Amino acid sequence: MMRSLTSRGALLFAALLMASGAPAAGRIIIGMQLEPPVLDPTANPAAAISEIVYGNVFEGLVQFAADGSALPKLAAAWDISDDGLTYVFHLRPKVRFHDGSPFDASAAKFSLDRALAPDSVNPQRSRLAKIRSVEIVDPYTLRIRLERRSGGLLESLAWGAFVMVSPSSAAANATHPVGTGPFRFTRWRRGDSVTLARNPDYWGDRALLDEATFKFISDPTAAYAALMAADVDAFSNYPAPESFPQFAADRRFEVFAGTTEMETVLALNHRVAPLGNILVRRAISFALDRRAIIDGAMYGFATPIGSHFPPRNPAYVDLTGVYPHDAARAKALLAQAGYPNGFSATLKLPPPSYARRSGEIIAAQLAEAGIHVSIENLEWAQWLDQVFARHDFDMSIVGHAEPMDYDIYARDDYYFGYSSAEFKALVAELDDTLDPARRRDLLQKIQRKLADDAVNGFLFQYPRLDVWNARLRGIGFDNVLGVVDLSHASDDRSGAAYASGATGAERPASGSETSGPGARWQPLRFLGEISSAAALILCVLISRRFGGAYLAGRVAVLAATALAATAVVFVIVQLAPGDPVRYMMGMQADADAMTAMRHQLGLDIAPLQRYVHWVGGMLHGDFGRSFTYGIPVSELLAERLQVSLPLASYALLLTIALAFPIGLLSAARRGRASDALLMGATQLGLALPNFWLGMLLAMLFAIRLHWVSAGGFPGWHAGFAAGVKALTLPALALAMPQAAILARVLRGSLVDTLHEDYIRTARAKGAGEWQVLRRHALPNALIPVLTIMGMQFSFLLAGGVIIENVFFLPGLGRLVFQAIGQRDLIVVQSVVVVLVIAVVTVAFLVDLSYVLVNPRLRAARGA
Amino acid sequence: MRVSGSREIGFYIGAAVTAGFAVMAAVSAFWTPYDPALLSIADKLQPPSLHHWCGTDQLGRDVLSMIMAGARNSVGVALLSVVIGVFIGVPLGLLAAARRGAVDELVMRGNDLIFAFPSLLLAILITAVFGPGAVNAIIAIGIFNIPVFARVTRGGALQLWTRDYILAARVAGKGAARISFEHVLPNLIGLLAVQGAIQFSLGIIAEAGLSYVGLGAQPPVPSWGRMLNDAQTLTVLAPSLALYPGIAILLFVLGLNLLGDGLRRRRERPQ
Repeated sequence: MMRSLTSRGALLFAALLMASGAPAAGRIIIGMQLEPPVLDPTANPAAAISEIVYGNVFEGLVQFAADGSALPKLAAAWDISDDGLTYVFHLRPKVRFHDGSPFDASAAKFSLDRALAPDSVNPQRSRLAKIRSVEIVDPYTLRIRLERRSGGLLESLAWGAFVMVSPSSAAANATHPVGTGPFRFTRWRRGDSVTLARNPDYWGDRALLDEATFKFISDPTAAYAALMAADVDAFSNYPAPESFPQFAADRRFEVFAGTTEMETVLALNHRVAPLGNILVRRAISFALDRRAIIDGAMYGFATPIGSHFPPRNPAYVDLTGVYPHDAARAKALLAQAGYPNGFSATLKLPPPSYARRSGEIIAAQLAEAGIHVSIENLEWAQWLDQVFARHDFDMSIVGHAEPMDYDIYARDDYYFGYSSAEFKALVAELDDTLDPARRRDLLQKIQRKLADDAVNGFLFQYPRLDVWNARLRGIGFDNVLGVVDLSHASDDRSGAAYASGATGAERPASGSETSGPGARWQPLRFLGEISSAAALILCVLISRRFGGAYLAGRVAVLAATALAATAVVFVIVQLAPGDPVRYMMGMQADADAMTAMRHQLGLDIAPLQRYVHWVGGMLHGDFGRSFTYGIPVSELLAERLQVSLPLASYALLLTIALAFPIGLLSAARRGRASDALLMGATQLGLALPNFWLGMLLAMLFAIRLHWVSAGGFPGWHAGFAAGVKALTLPALALAMPQAAILARVLRGSLVDTLHEDYIRTARAKGAGEWQVLRRHALPNALIPVLTIMGMQFSFLLAGGVIIENVFFLPGLGRLVFQAIGQRDLIVVQSVVVVLVIAVVTVAFLVDLSYVLVNPRLRAARGA
Repeated sequence: MRVSGSREIGFYIGAAVTAGFAVMAAVSAFWTPYDPALLSIADKLQPPSLHHWCGTDQLGRDVLSMIMAGARNSVGVALLSVVIGVFIGVPLGLLAAARRGAVDELVMRGNDLIFAFPSLLLAILITAVFGPGAVNAIIAIGIFNIPVFARVTRGGALQLWTRDYILAARVAGKGAARISFEHVLPNLIGLLAVQGAIQFSLGIIAEAGLSYVGLGAQPPVPSWGRMLNDAQTLTVLAPSLALYPGIAILLFVLGLNLLGDGLRRRRERPQ
């Protein structure tokens, strides 16, 4: 009986999988670690933006070649005047933006003027500061005049911040980017993915792929699991160097190990006493053992550096020998500087694993030289606020990702506070030099000066690690900006082989996707209406049964609790250190732009007024607008509930399915060995932390057995079966400890009921043990079980935060977690309050359900 | 009677396991096989051996030493958060039971408010806002212990207030506060001990969860949750690193639960 049931279930499951359909070839999924805050590279410095859109969606007049020089792109050719002050660009004709508007000299002038405007938020604006004017010569000829000579103008124009945008659509590029590239933007599922589709009207060679989706997977383990489980076809900037060699050795995968423009440094605050002393800084440099740091933190995948300059640049000088690892010399220098017994300092670390791992190792190395470092781990918002903006730190570890960013050492107000007239003179001279040999000489002087002053502890050049499925061809990772170049990528997979793969069913089917963001899961569209109707019916029912006064009293308590909760959450969130505006604008922001943004977000209003506004808005369903994504919070809530609500329901269902048989059996066999065994098993279940269980389940079923994917959520449009499959492991991990609780409650309640008189009567009438249990004891034992189930549902709805992180599900919990990190205050407040309301409502309903069962309780409760 | 015999075994096992972890935590304050913060990159990811019974982690630290020191962190956080719950919750519960009426209502509604918050989410909010670290983890977990102890104390005290000897004390002119502390509280110790064991074990899991997401004790202080997080990217190279801390949590919590169950049974047994 049991066997035939399971096999029938398996058949049904398989049938559902098939029904969800095999997708067309030519669509690939690329994993990446960080989600971009917006998709407009001209408005925000986040590297993740260019990683997706540069060269794929947007194109510039020129584009970076692999070696960092500029190649023709939308400008087919150019002439430079002899004095170096006039550049004439000959634009490609017959180029159109994705919205149909033409690309010509006026669009190019618009793009550059927009970047250079006084109110521009362009993150690289200062690179083009020497431009005097941009002029249209004819529809396909553009002239740029400079104030002074600018050696790196062409390379600057190749930056993602200066791509060409259309006057008709530029304002909306943050959420709906429109460029001239081989791919068009189609969809952004926040917290999950961005999808691009081939541009059929591209001016150059058309792309080979139909579609490419960039999926955001922040956790290194999840990245590993996603590649192994073939949830993604490639991973750009693979974040777990420890498992990289394994992919390199696996023939199913291709790997690329290169370098980036990111110099990782132990930043020293020159404004605090010991670190302003050059002897102390040199001592620190001697105390560092780069080899051990690279082996320990990066598993050997990084190149040591001795100054702030990338080794792949032709002008690089190897200065790693200036301060060889030598703890004795470090101590001697410290003594010479007046610190014979060393000193104490804080080391504030941002979240990336390179910083956290290096931090632990460096703390141990500095301790050998007598410098006692206490580590403080910060989120990005806190790091930007404390370290970057307020310079409140002693040491920090951070990677500087911008190419040719030696000029940060010439800024007095930069966070580490290095100030050297000699260095500034070198940078100024370089800026005015066009001769390549002379430029190279100056670049080397710059490197030597930084090493000589031991400005920071120079650690390593960050590696670029990419992994992709061997089927993919022509995908480009080797470039200066660290972008994913899809223009020549193709997928060798044959349709048949793909459809038969276990993971095939998890890919979205092509037909259901074209409708884009408008195609919400239908039932949720009416969630509000449905719940209001249900509430109304319930109110009528209750007031008829118990009278309006009782109902009014209960609802008043409910409302008071919710109101108190809004106040508590609002106060906590206001206390949060870290400026949301600083977080959003990043390391490049200037004060005016930040003030404007603060006004735009309504953060310049008094807190009390803001609170009233927020609560008032929520009363008619307006939860405000997310700072990060710029869309209504209610929309985010609806998106995330599509994951969290089914997950909680599924977990509750599994909880019941596990707990009832165990509880019933245990009660039936009470006092015997099988009872002891079952109750022993529930003890084990109670003691299991669900996130550890989740890890173990993922290790076994996803990584070892490949039965299910290791995480992620394909979306309900990919089919019901695919959605359920993706939620199975997380639901199981959530359910098992809860099932243990419920089984114990059920057993206890049943055993208590079995002592009642009416049970004795039933037995006397000759009812069998099972019949007594099922027909007589169970219905009466359900009240405490119902209470627990109500509490469990609330717990499951909100308590999935950690599980959602383990399985990278875009649910409510992860939304809050991310929002806390990004200081997206309005999202944090609203989601927590919605969850509180859910908790009190469920408790209220459970309460009512037993008043309905047993009206005697009304008097007791009302009192 | 067979049953109570086997339950007794559970109690003793629970007591032994709990004592074992307590001893381990205490010993780790003075001695561990290696310094749990000592890095030795050359010895990283070693399998278990005579030198390193549980092997070494990705930075070459001795895993057994880290588990031992992690026990100290877990015990400290969970115990102090129970202390917060007891020191604030118990007086509130006594007050509610002694005064009844509006005071009772106020205390209970306050409890409901805290219960209405998804506990883990609020703990994450608190530690994220006030900075990650053991102290803030204690506060975040402790806040949720307050209503638990208040409710248990109030329930137990309400029953006791109807007893004859309390009535006698009232007749003798003792004040409500004095009765609460002299007559009510001593009779609630058993009840509170049971609840204490339960909250302690929940505290261990909560602390592990917070450390797992990086909001618990900060390095170099070892914590089981962070060890699990570190182990997650190494599940292929060194799967055992994900096992030891998890097993430690499982055993400790299991021991505490058995102990709590045993205590409750002993209380409930007719004297």
